[in-house]
Amino acid sequence: MALMAANAAPASTRELSRRRAVRRFKWSILAPLIALIALVLLPVLFLQLYFSFHQWTVYLGSWSEAEFVGLDLFTEVLTDPRFGWAVVRSLAFATGSTIGCFVFGFALAYLMHKPFRGQAVYYAIFILPMLTVPVVVAYTGEMLLYQSGPINDLVTRLSGIEFKPAWLTNPNIALPTVMLLEIWNWTPFSFIIMLAGLAAVPREPLEAAEILGASRWRIFWEVQLPLLRPVIFLALVLRFLEAMAEFPKTWALLQGGPGTATETLPIYIFLTTWQYFEVSKGAAMSYIVMLLMIVIVLVAIRLLRREKRALDAMYGGGAT
Amino acid sequence: MTKSRRRRVSTAIRYAVLTLWAIIAFFPIYWMVATSFKPDTQWFAWPPVYFPEPPTLDNYRNVWFGAEQYAATQYAISSQKPLISLGNSAIIATTSTLLAVLFGSVIAYGVSRHRILSETRMFQLLMLRMIPPIVVVAPLSLYYAAVGLTDTFAGLILIYFLTSLPYAVWMTKSFIDEVPREIEQAAQILGASRWRTIFEIVLPLIRSGLVATFLFILILTWSEYLLALIITKTQVTTVPIELSKYQGSTEGRVYGRQAALSVGITIPLMIVGLIIRKHLARGFSFGMVRR
Repeated sequence: MALMAANAAPASTRELSRRRAVRRFKWSILAPLIALIALVLLPVLFLQLYFSFHQWTVYLGSWSEAEFVGLDLFTEVLTDPRFGWAVVRSLAFATGSTIGCFVFGFALAYLMHKPFRGQAVYYAIFILPMLTVPVVVAYTGEMLLYQSGPINDLVTRLSGIEFKPAWLTNPNIALPTVMLLEIWNWTPFSFIIMLAGLAAVPREPLEAAEILGASRWRIFWEVQLPLLRPVIFLALVLRFLEAMAEFPKTWALLQGGPGTATETLPIYIFLTTWQYFEVSKGAAMSYIVMLLMIVIVLVAIRLLRREKRALDAMYGGGAT
Repeated sequence: MTKSRRRRVSTAIRYAVLTLWAIIAFFPIYWMVATSFKPDTQWFAWPPVYFPEPPTLDNYRNVWFGAEQYAATQYAISSQKPLISLGNSAIIATTSTLLAVLFGSVIAYGVSRHRILSETRMFQLLMLRMIPPIVVVAPLSLYYAAVGLTDTFAGLILIYFLTSLPYAVWMTKSFIDEVPREIEQAAQILGASRWRTIFEIVLPLIRSGLVATFLFILILTWSEYLLALIITKTQVTTVPIELSKYQGSTEGRVYGRQAALSVGITIPLMIVGLIIRKHLARGFSFGMVRR
């Protein structure tokens, strides 16, 4: 007993000094980082707040001349039907393209998760769209989709039916067109995530179900799918967030047009600020969108945290 | 017999579906490459020209090496030669990525071994990436203008460093987590300082992981468009911005030139991506999915 106490005393001072060393180490990395983030983010957030409450245009000399207008800008944005439509479009675009990417990506991953001849070649080809710069996707999309362009020509030739949708100039299908490009661009994302997920699913439950004579369909729905849940969430959540922020393709291809057909939130904010030069309205709009996105991201992070535990358990179990 | 036949049918269906998707995935890329070799009469021809005849290198000569005068052709309102913006992109992307990986891996070590960031803080870090940049880009450009960072390398490198940090921390952490602690503990018992342990033991052990992280973030930074569009004016334009200047502002469609630029921008990215193809899932999932 006495011996243990004698041992414990130096151990605890050692423990204390160890803890102090860790703390020193911690702040020597984190302090510069926090300072840097604060140096960039705080003035930016302050400016955004300032412009949201002050009417400022580029014609005024300095920021301080801007007139205080209270919540006027926020009411202006919130009663602007164009803003409302931009919200709807963004949500529709993000939902549609997320589902599209997921369905195609998962289907391909499912077809490819067992080894077969040529697998590596297919894999390499399938990830290429993801490795294409988004602006390049936009311009190549234009080269492919103009009305007498190769896509319409190919479909007409192969089907024998006259196929001539005006992908880019018909306001009713312009947004779905951008969605198609987004799906082409990012299906590889869902594909690689789901493929990695399928590879990590433990074999035993599958073999057990096979031995019990379950059909492939039932194995898929009742064994594989529940095991894949964390990966599925991951693929959906991350893709949705990225799709909400999609700017380069929509902008480079259509600038929100024809009319306002592809005017998603990023596009409308950009137009307001840099084409109409309504910096203050743009700031108020950004503020509202930022709050909206923070809510979405917090929900997303909640989901990710839950699923990460499941994933860690899966990899922890598989690794050792 | 029937079972093996059924298997053969399902194999055939699998190959058919996969091949169909391979065509869908590859055709736009093929079209981009093909268009870049077409003479200008075939860019926009009816019926569309599927194989450039005869293939020409004119687009590449003109776009990359400025064989034709910009003023004469008018459609390039570019302020720089694309080769310069290629250099800019290379400098900006490699510097910001290098910084992010360096910083990120040390933080990741701290989180992995000493929990210097709680799980909550780690997820809050993700917000740097998940909040769309468009919501801060207007005040950011005003702030940058006020402090003189607009259109500078430092400005773009700084913002790319911050936005790629979440990926760097999370991805390198997933690699460090896989390294057994015993090795570094041995080093520390032998008297190595913490920094030496990090730089001479731990980081060398995850060398390939660091390279993968570096290349992965390089892909994201190289393609970034919105921030570069706002922050750069004429001095440090990156390649995606350079390409968007070739939007036919006066003459309309200059597909061949755009395609020649696109090929030059995209090929390095594809090579990098194919090199780290095994690590892409880990990268995009912030290290949560491993292979």
